[in-house]
Amino acid sequence: MSDRSDILQGTLDLMVLQTLDAMGPLHGYGIARRIEQISEEVLQLNQGTIYAALLRLQQRRWISASWGVSDNNRRAKFYAITKSGRKQLATATNNWTRIAGVIGRMLRLSEGR
Amino acid sequence: MWTRLLILASRTRSALFGSRLDADFRDELQSHLDMLAAEELKKGVTPAEANRRASLRLGGIAQLEENNRRARGLPLLEETMRDIRYALRSLRKNPVFSAIAIATLAIGIGAGTVVFTFAGAVLLRPLPYERPDELVRVFETNPLRRWTRNIASPANYADWRTENVVFADMAAYEQYFNEGSGASDVFLTGYGDPQPLKSLGVTGNLFQVLGAQPLLGRTFSDEETFAGKARVVMLSYGFWQSAFAGDPAIIGRSISLSGATYEVVGVMPREFFFPGRDVHVWIPVAYSPNIFKNSRRPHWLGVIARRKPDVTLAQAGADMDRVARALEEQYPDTNTKMGVHLEPFQGSLAFESRPALLMLSASVGLLFLIVCANIANLQLGRAIARGRELAIRRALGASRTRLVRQLLIESLVLSVAGGAFGFALTWLASAALARLAAPSLPPFAEIRLDRAVALFAAALSLSAPIVFGIMPALTSSRPGQLSDRTASAARDATLLRNALVATEVALSIILVVGSVLLVRSLVQLGRVDPGFNPDRVIALTVTLPSVRYPDARARFLAFTDIERRIREEPGVQSVGASSSIALRGATWTGDLTFQGRAADDYERDIRHSSITPDYFKTMGIRLLSGRMFDERDRVDQPRTTIVNEAMVRKFFRGADPIGVQLKFARPQDNAPWIAVVGVVADEKQDGLDRDPQPLAYQSIGQQMQNPLTFVVRTSLDAPAAVAAARRQVAAVDKDLALTSVATLQAVVDDSMGSHRFRTLLLSSFAAVALLLAALGTYGVLAYSVSQRARELAIRLALGARRAELFRLVIGQGLRPVALGAVAGLLGALALTSWIESLLFGVTAVDPPTYALAMTLLAAIGAAACAAPAWRATRVDPLRSLREE
Repeated sequence: MSDRSDILQGTLDLMVLQTLDAMGPLHGYGIARRIEQISEEVLQLNQGTIYAALLRLQQRRWISASWGVSDNNRRAKFYAITKSGRKQLATATNNWTRIAGVIGRMLRLSEGR
Repeated sequence: MWTRLLILASRTRSALFGSRLDADFRDELQSHLDMLAAEELKKGVTPAEANRRASLRLGGIAQLEENNRRARGLPLLEETMRDIRYALRSLRKNPVFSAIAIATLAIGIGAGTVVFTFAGAVLLRPLPYERPDELVRVFETNPLRRWTRNIASPANYADWRTENVVFADMAAYEQYFNEGSGASDVFLTGYGDPQPLKSLGVTGNLFQVLGAQPLLGRTFSDEETFAGKARVVMLSYGFWQSAFAGDPAIIGRSISLSGATYEVVGVMPREFFFPGRDVHVWIPVAYSPNIFKNSRRPHWLGVIARRKPDVTLAQAGADMDRVARALEEQYPDTNTKMGVHLEPFQGSLAFESRPALLMLSASVGLLFLIVCANIANLQLGRAIARGRELAIRRALGASRTRLVRQLLIESLVLSVAGGAFGFALTWLASAALARLAAPSLPPFAEIRLDRAVALFAAALSLSAPIVFGIMPALTSSRPGQLSDRTASAARDATLLRNALVATEVALSIILVVGSVLLVRSLVQLGRVDPGFNPDRVIALTVTLPSVRYPDARARFLAFTDIERRIREEPGVQSVGASSSIALRGATWTGDLTFQGRAADDYERDIRHSSITPDYFKTMGIRLLSGRMFDERDRVDQPRTTIVNEAMVRKFFRGADPIGVQLKFARPQDNAPWIAVVGVVADEKQDGLDRDPQPLAYQSIGQQMQNPLTFVVRTSLDAPAAVAAARRQVAAVDKDLALTSVATLQAVVDDSMGSHRFRTLLLSSFAAVALLLAALGTYGVLAYSVSQRARELAIRLALGARRAELFRLVIGQGLRPVALGAVAGLLGALALTSWIESLLFGVTAVDPPTYALAMTLLAAIGAAACAAPAWRATRVDPLRSLREE
């Protein structure tokens, strides 16, 4: 998969889960916008990319989807995090901070030499 | 793991509901686009610019859709479905090819399934006993008497049972002859008309040895083996259902069998049988314990044992040899040279039918190969025609794997369709086939299409494409074959096709030789003179219950009364009776001593039979010398016997034996001397294909036997004659019933039943094989002629005569046929031992058979080549040169 901003698959999945956990049910556009905003436009998403993540998460039953109506009265498909999705988010967050910590320490070590 | 399952479930759902999900995703993307466009609009651009920017930010819709589809569904499954749809389309476009291929496969798979149904029922389906593999038949052997698989005497059985260390236990059941189950006719009375039943006497421990639990009640105990405690009976499920409507209260009730009363102690489950499905009730053998201590000479027990779990058949055999040697030392009088032979129980039940079943299995295997070769051949032919299509698909980027897979899936579709038709045919014909097979299969075999049969058909359908599909797929997808006109590719394919034709011919020849041998055997068998005239004769067996007819005198009166009454029926020309039934084996055998011999010089196992005076006349058996039985041969007169030709040949070297004295005993035994008063022509005893054995007849007045089979020659048709006989038997005793009722002609026909069955099957296999070989030959040659049209046209233009062209093409077509024929003949010669034991009156190396097979093949090969060759001579040089 060639994304403009070459982010890891797992990272995008994690961001989507986190977004849905924080914001409640959202449509694809909303999720994409939210990720762009949070990353302060560092991540220039090709917004379509998130559909791959959404499909992966759905297949694992971590999120559910249903059609609904958006704030400005548009028909849109809304995604919501499921119970097992929250569990996965917790595990993944945990992993992520641990690995980030390890990598951070390693990078600091090499700096200090 | 769980996650994977979830994903698989989700993907499968997508694969099934793909189009709906596609639309759903498109809607979603559209709504996304609309929102993006609305955002851009707020920045103050034109609507068109807003739409453009929205599209850019989302990414290519087509790409997204394709990615989604791929990630969502099961790509392999979907591609396969696509391949299957494509295959169906391409097969529909070639209806003739498809129909021929499917029909051929249906025949091949159907025939295989039919034979598997028979062979599986006899050789493979496990017997309904606990751990049936541990069960072993135990036989007596004795080179002195040419016994290899003989039934045992009671005392030998009892000693085997106590002395061995290898069997968990050993049981026995009545079996008076080496063939058949030993079940005897009894009659259930007290429930309407007397019902004839097959009853088998068993030792009390039989059911324990089999490990068979009753459905209701209990099985016998060991003590119930013996007289005095033996008035107990176990019912088969079928009999319990038909006679007592499945009433569970039957346990503990008394029923009357041939006048004796038995208490019903148990009912066996539906699937249980022993040793055949024809047995309705089991009763204890009911002999005194002394018989099992002393009786070493009449042999009348079938013996079955259960190996201890850790004992092999060979170890069991070694231990039984030890036991037999000990008995030999202890009882030289009876047990000299007596050995023991063990056989797996199922194998022993299938002993008679196994050679034919193996032969048929091998034949149907060959037929299946021919079918596959034929379809491979057709496929190759088609692949050449499809060369252009395949080349285009390659040029468009299809990988070779992809092409091979596509071609294999086409093969699979053909094969599954063929298999489905084949199985359907088998299913439709199963009742008829079961009837056809019945006389040649042992009585325990039940012909039904169970799951194993369906699985077998499915396995054949799935494996066939591997045999016939892979080679054509690989050949025709070969890279470099970019043009359908590449001469070298076509030449390769043609070479391959010729090889296939040669293979088909070779395999067919083997089948044809086999079937011609069987047909010739059948013809020979049909020509055999049974020694009697079966025309308009009916046979029926009457058993007198010993309770009401306890002695020879009572039986003599009843039998002669029945005979007299039947004789007085209108239309009856003659009536007689015998203790043995024509073509159904011997009933009584014993030692035979001729007067003046030394004390140890006597004949063993000589057959004797008791008849009424009119038996020979009714059967049409000729008197060769001396006289027939008559009023003189009564109980109070000097003993007399009439012997058959086989006896004269064997013991008198053809000299006239009239006046010779003999007795049915050993020289030292005290038995009355009997004078030979006549010699009659041989009647066949064990079947048309067996030589008649020496046989001595006595009159029932002097030697009573029970049951007797009456033969009635009549001008009435068979049903009327049977009705009349039934009436007269009932008039003598309303509790008597008739068994084994048949016309003598039917008895003769039945005795050929197994020959006819295997001949019919093998011949139809051979016919199909020949047809397929002819088709293959024709296909290759026809294609070659169409390819060579230009060359043939040039030859004609240069002055070749049409007759020469005809010869040229025929020669080309017949070359692989001739090659295959030679290979096939060698193969047939190499396989003769397979069929030797099934033949009658011909040897497996029978020159006329081989000549006939070759002629047949040459004729069919020539016919297959003639049409293309004739077409070759019709080539119009001008037109075909212009076309190129």
